[in-house]
Amino acid sequence: MFDLTYLKLPKIREGYKNIWLRNFLHFKKTFMVSFFWVILEPLMYLGAIGYGLGSYIQTINGQSYVDFFFPGLLASTSMMVPFFESTYNNYTKLTFQKIYNHMMLTRLDSHEIVTGELLWSTFKGLFGIVGLVIIGSFFGLVSEWQILLVVVILTLNSWIFAGIAMTITSIAKNYDSFIYATSGFLIPLTLISGIYFPISQMPLILQITTYIFPLAHTIELCRMLLTDSWHWWGYLHIAYLLILAYAFFLIALHRISKKLIN
Amino acid sequence: MSLDTAIEAKNVVKKYSDFVALDGVSLDIKKGECFGLLGPNGAGKSTLMKLMYCQSLLTEGELYILGLNVKTNFREIKSKIGVVPQDNMLDEDFTLLENLKLFARYQQMEPSTVNEKIFHLLRLFKLEEFANHQIGQLSGGTQRRLCIARALIHSPDLLFLDEPTTGLDPQSRLWLWNFVKQMKDMAGTIIMTTHYIEEAEELCDRVAVIDHGKILAIDYPATLIKNHIGEEVVEFHSNSVDLNYYINRLKENKFEYQVYHNMVLVFIKPEQNSRILLEIIKSEKVTLRKPTLNDVFLKLAGYNLRDV
Repeated sequence: MFDLTYLKLPKIREGYKNIWLRNFLHFKKTFMVSFFWVILEPLMYLGAIGYGLGSYIQTINGQSYVDFFFPGLLASTSMMVPFFESTYNNYTKLTFQKIYNHMMLTRLDSHEIVTGELLWSTFKGLFGIVGLVIIGSFFGLVSEWQILLVVVILTLNSWIFAGIAMTITSIAKNYDSFIYATSGFLIPLTLISGIYFPISQMPLILQITTYIFPLAHTIELCRMLLTDSWHWWGYLHIAYLLILAYAFFLIALHRISKKLIN
Repeated sequence: MSLDTAIEAKNVVKKYSDFVALDGVSLDIKKGECFGLLGPNGAGKSTLMKLMYCQSLLTEGELYILGLNVKTNFREIKSKIGVVPQDNMLDEDFTLLENLKLFARYQQMEPSTVNEKIFHLLRLFKLEEFANHQIGQLSGGTQRRLCIARALIHSPDLLFLDEPTTGLDPQSRLWLWNFVKQMKDMAGTIIMTTHYIEEAEELCDRVAVIDHGKILAIDYPATLIKNHIGEEVVEFHSNSVDLNYYINRLKENKFEYQVYHNMVLVFIKPEQNSRILLEIIKSEKVTLRKPTLNDVFLKLAGYNLRDV
């Protein structure tokens, strides 16, 4: 029998704030490195794909290509940043640096540690999103107030991918596992989720597949909000994202806890 | 359980899938005691210690730390104990001072008391000059001192030292021994594991010898030596031809002995006379000496190498 108590969120105590703080203090030391890859990399994509390639495309779904591409780029940034944070970085902390074991020597428990780490990854995602929104506004890509709602949706997306990444970290045997996860899952996902072209261009089987994952839902929501074309099924997208956010949080909590105390 | 009990273990069992790491361990440790856990690699001493400091889950049995159950009150226990783990587990992304400050935060200490406490510890452990060094720049001895300072930051009632002197230079080791003695003078409770028997003999009030997940003996070092070895030890080397002859003579005279390659240890009980023995043995390499805890340990745990 499936045990329903697994679906219940365990009590998370306030110690998670100190985990977040530890990461923030470290972030302040290595700010420039983060700045480069979190903000400059999407900026290069914006130039190369949005403006470079986009200049050959008249309109796409009634928009200029760069207007179409920008929400996709935002969503992809909100996925990539927490994903890499919670795979490579968190795996290093879990195994080689033993930082979680070190935290476990104090009154902190494993749930506080996992929650703090996921919140940190999400925050770093938000850092990238806001950076890109500011840059986008210089290029005249952001003018609607709805961008605030978009940032909320993207933050939710960051949280989900932090949870997915932490789950992968709990399964990983070594760093090679993340190469598989990146090349076999993350990169293909960016190609089928409607970042570069509308999902309707793809074969039906790929259209169905892409909606299993959160990224396509996030991108669709962002486009709806930014082009003033809200539909009631937007709520279904949100509901699905919330379910994934909860599910991967729980899975990450259970799996990492088992690694820290057994 | 009386009020002066620091740790009470009843029939503690720890299994990892099909491997039994601890097989029914029971012991009591009193407050103010320095208690040593001795055993070869893989004997279960670190596992037992991990259960005590709540980094591992009990499979069976009961374990109380400071009157609190490890199964339900691990959070409260962890706020009352200090742990110096085998591999230092310092946060290498930060400096020495930052490590202490972060640890105080994790322990959720009152912010107003933290700075004063850290200042005091830095002075006590002679760490002031390294305060702004990155962890990687510190020597092994300094890192270990930092670990102890870290473990004491929240003024714990109980201190765990897991092989505290492994890998340290003689100066650092001597410093650590002195520190433990000072802690004992202040009636602090210390539980330590060690490979170095002379360390246990020097520092511990009581020791438990553990092997294959079981406690083989538990007592004061002097009592263990008296009960298991006796008053004196005669140690001699012999070639393999004469060895059998000597062993037969030892048996005739009802001496207790142990053979390791060409070396023989004879344990002299209070009622026996070592003079007779010295007449029997014609080896050139004979020594008569006081028994040590090392003799007890090797007698109980044997001479075989352990690969873990």
